[in-house]
Amino acid sequence: MALLEVNHLDVHFALRKGDVHALRDINFTLERGERLGIVGESGAGKSVAAFALLNLIAKPGFIAGGEVNFEGKTLNTMSERRLRKVRGNRISMIFQDPMMTLNPVLSIGEQMIECLKAHRRITSKRARAIALDKLHQVQIPSPETRLAQYPHELSGGMRQRVIIAIALLLDPDIIIADEPTTALDVTIQAEIMALLLNLCEQHNVGLILITHDLGVVSQVTQRMLVMYAGRVIEQGPTREIINDPQHPYTQGLINALPQMATPGEQLNQIPGSMPSLDNLPSGCAFHPRCGFVERADGTTRRACIDEVPGFVTSGNCQAACHMVAEMVDDRRLKEESL
Amino acid sequence: MTDSSHTSSTNTPSAGTSSASAAALPALPGRWERFRDSYLLYSFKRDVIAQLSLLVFIALVAIAAFAPWLSPMNPYDLAQIDILSSELPPFWIDGSDPAYLLGTDAQGRDMLSTILYGARVSLIIGFGAVALQAVIGVSFGLMAGYLGGRVDAFLMRLADIQLSFSTLMVAIIVGALVKAIFGSATFSTYAVPLLVVIIGLAEWPQYARTVRASVLAERSKEYVDAARVMGLRSKRIMFRHVLPNTLSPIFVISTVQIANAIISEAALSFLGLGMPETHPSLGSLIKAGFDYIQSGSWWITLIPGAVLVILVLSINLLGDWLRDVMNPRLYKG
Repeated sequence: MALLEVNHLDVHFALRKGDVHALRDINFTLERGERLGIVGESGAGKSVAAFALLNLIAKPGFIAGGEVNFEGKTLNTMSERRLRKVRGNRISMIFQDPMMTLNPVLSIGEQMIECLKAHRRITSKRARAIALDKLHQVQIPSPETRLAQYPHELSGGMRQRVIIAIALLLDPDIIIADEPTTALDVTIQAEIMALLLNLCEQHNVGLILITHDLGVVSQVTQRMLVMYAGRVIEQGPTREIINDPQHPYTQGLINALPQMATPGEQLNQIPGSMPSLDNLPSGCAFHPRCGFVERADGTTRRACIDEVPGFVTSGNCQAACHMVAEMVDDRRLKEESL
Repeated sequence: MTDSSHTSSTNTPSAGTSSASAAALPALPGRWERFRDSYLLYSFKRDVIAQLSLLVFIALVAIAAFAPWLSPMNPYDLAQIDILSSELPPFWIDGSDPAYLLGTDAQGRDMLSTILYGARVSLIIGFGAVALQAVIGVSFGLMAGYLGGRVDAFLMRLADIQLSFSTLMVAIIVGALVKAIFGSATFSTYAVPLLVVIIGLAEWPQYARTVRASVLAERSKEYVDAARVMGLRSKRIMFRHVLPNTLSPIFVISTVQIANAIISEAALSFLGLGMPETHPSLGSLIKAGFDYIQSGSWWITLIPGAVLVILVLSINLLGDWLRDVMNPRLYKG
């Protein structure tokens, strides 16, 4: 049994303009110590997925179906009381903006000790010692001083170190990192990412890394999901997806990386932009931007416009794409005729 | 509303060593150093009006607090009152008695003593009522803002209903009822707590609305999400994480509310619904003296009136200054 299993997770937002289907049929598993990347454009539903894992979707959003199993227990039907014992304790989370995640009126020490005391029956002295140890682990300069300081007295990089220390405070099994380096200076980003990776490996902590940075995902994670308009469209081992992306959207993303462009030429891009969730196109949500709706012989693949694609397995990867499905079928036919 | 930024350290490290290695970090400032370097103190040092108001306010509070030791006689003690020395003028007018510095009232009580005791009663009611308002208003505002939904709708409609009754109306009805049911004697005995409750209940929506507005702004910040992700209880997040971040507006309206409460009490007493004349507040002193203005004994009403105005003015000026300091838009740009 996997440490974390997400089955058919569906999240809706009941907005005034109508029901918005923010996550559709999300499935994945995470083994102990495994690192999983979730990639997608803004608005693809990455952060909603992160909050849904901890059953922290705020109104008007709600989990409409599916389940999140952690160690065999279903989190989304668990009582609030028991959920609190999981949050922060077994599964912790790192947010995007370190300027906003720490409470401005509480000192670093107060925030860390509070978190420890919420989950364990320990003395303040013992909690302080643990907090100090974690600050040492994130290699923050002069940790004793930091404990008494307030968030505004630290730089962005230091704050993110503090936040990582808080995430590690209770030795969790999983850390969900929601774009942990986006708000940081480019020079700090690599440093923080390396630190996070290092600590996860050291303590055998599972990591769910949510990002739009394919470079980071390819370096850090073992498996990845690509999300588009609230749906997973491709999943599999990170290396295989990066080297041989099946879905046209993933191909587009990888082609859009600056290192894929010819020097002196314009960067490659995917034409158009992601549709809004309350007005999805018919069939495959990506079809208006996709260059493969027309086959090589000029005929239109009607299924792309009419039918929502299911997953087809190709190697170790799965992609939700009619074009890939056809290719796989063709290949099988050829193999059979041989 | 990050009031923590007021305490941001403004001391510059000794020149040249500012980019010293982490090991050479300056010793962490304690609470006193933080206060000494704060914007709050910096602005106070440059605001003469604020300094004067604080001085006057502290002086008035001090003499009110020490009234039993400072005043020449005890106005509550009937044995010390001499009806023969009634309506004596203050010292700068002919016919005054040096024993009564500010003259006497119609019953022969020393004005100075009654004013000291009266200011004491007014301040107790003012602070008591505001404390009650703050407790009710802050908790309701926190709950309404943080929990939202039906709780919010219910509490805010409650506040609307409360605000549609004026303080005076509530006070008149409650006061009249208590007097009718329990008699004037009981009313006089419990006048102070009763006034605290009446004024406190009438004005809590001011707090509730202010707190709710800033809680709504705070709730959407990521540190609240982070606290929930940490697995903290809602109650703890509300009181320990959100509440401290809404303190600046609470401080600012508190000054206004204290001044308002003191005025409300004076108005009620003036209408005969507040403190009885045997146990006068500034308001009941003004009322008691009002009848004698025509007969020329203006000091019985005017001197307590002046004290009331100075007290309220000093609080309001302090509130003005505080509002300017605590408004981040005015100094952060």
